[in-house]
Amino acid sequence: MDNAGFIIASYIITFGAVGAYAIGVIRRSRKSSRDIPRDQRPWL
Amino acid sequence: MNTSMSTKGSPRDRVTGTPFTRGLGILVLAGMALLIVLGLFVSPADVNQGESVRIMYAHVPGAWLAYLAFIVTAVSSAAYLWNRTRSLTWDRIAGASAEVGVLFMGISLITGSLWGRITWGTYWTWDARLTTTAFLFVTYIGYLAVRGLGGTHQQRARRSAVLALLAVLEIPLVHFSVELWNTLHQEASVAGRGTNVDMDGLMLFTLFLGVVVFTLMYVWLVLHRQRSLTLDDMLDDSGLDNALTARRAEGMKR
Amino acid sequence: MSHDLNDDDIGTSADSLDLSPRAVTPRQQRKRRPWPAIIVLVLVVAAGGIVLTKFLTSAIDYYCNVNEIGAKSGCEAGHRLRVQGVVDKGSVENDGVTTKFDMSFGGVTIPVTYDGEPGGIFKECIPVVVHGILADGVFLGDRVEVKHSNEYKAANPNRVKNEGSTSEGTACSQ
Repeated sequence: MDNAGFIIASYIITFGAVGAYAIGVIRRSRKSSRDIPRDQRPWL
Repeated sequence: MNTSMSTKGSPRDRVTGTPFTRGLGILVLAGMALLIVLGLFVSPADVNQGESVRIMYAHVPGAWLAYLAFIVTAVSSAAYLWNRTRSLTWDRIAGASAEVGVLFMGISLITGSLWGRITWGTYWTWDARLTTTAFLFVTYIGYLAVRGLGGTHQQRARRSAVLALLAVLEIPLVHFSVELWNTLHQEASVAGRGTNVDMDGLMLFTLFLGVVVFTLMYVWLVLHRQRSLTLDDMLDDSGLDNALTARRAEGMKR
Repeated sequence: MSHDLNDDDIGTSADSLDLSPRAVTPRQQRKRRPWPAIIVLVLVVAAGGIVLTKFLTSAIDYYCNVNEIGAKSGCEAGHRLRVQGVVDKGSVENDGVTTKFDMSFGGVTIPVTYDGEPGGIFKECIPVVVHGILADGVFLGDRVEVKHSNEYKAANPNRVKNEGSTSEGTACSQ
């Protein structure tokens, strides 16, 4: 495949960025949820 | 799932997750895998661009979903500003959507830059499409910074809602920049004015799949981020409550 | 707003409390002076200014077509131009240092000289934008950008074989 490095890099960056952001959101919410009782989460 | 209070904050507790988002997450992962297989291996190389056309399946959906995210931000902001629907939930949806939009716009800029290097021969140039896109990107980073300026939740919501309604006006300018001015960037392939879609069938299908996968990713990310923003706001409020309670207790002792 | 908390947040019962200064928690400090957000905003305004300048000086009418040189305002020969045209079939010559080719648009053709080998998917019969200056009827380019179209066709190995060294004409089939 021509330019395989560029092409594969673009897929890694795409899904890597989304994955990193998703993990960041989950971690932050886990941290902030420590002081909030579970029954106060409006989406449950 | 475990419903006891003792699991709060523990790794086993999916704080912002619900059965719906869990199912959606599985669908996203399956879609990503299918997009990688179709985008990198099954879909054909292009007659002019060769293999580099494969970057399109990440670049174009990224840009479209960023537009959609910023439009959702504007609509939620309008819902916040309107007295009859005013709720901080709208403000947090607006904030979450803008954040995901900036992420997707960043992805589109970087993948577009790599694509440009191997087809145009340059990573970046100041043509109308690239310049207006850069301006849109910078505007929404500014929007997120304005959200972080502090004050009450209501002050944050009002300030950022007004900004969101102004910023969304840039989107038509970005989209039609390739038709309004001479640009290095090619014109719209699918959603252009009066364009017949001129694309190989399997390529078009893969692009469509990319849009579906990015849409599912968008919904998943916004739901989770909106909930984590809700937790942050609750924490701010409860931090205030705790401080007051503690000080009242001190006052009693005296 | 120099106090650590807002009146409407604290409630009316706060009057009777001891409000003497006490250690501020990191969270409250961040809330009062949002330096990260302020710094980002300053950078955003600066970057926005740069982008806006680029828009006004570069982005509006990024290039002139070959047939617009000397005909359209802003496209006068004698200063730096960006010129768009299609690389003529059979015109590309490369001696290892310099690349020479002809570029046409709207029935007008100019010869182009470029020091180096154009990058991207440069080839004949493809639209390109060349940055440079027109001197004695020859366009001296220092940057070549390939402007590919929005048509996407599957590469067909059989068709590629049939093309190639057949005709020396300057017409491209597209």
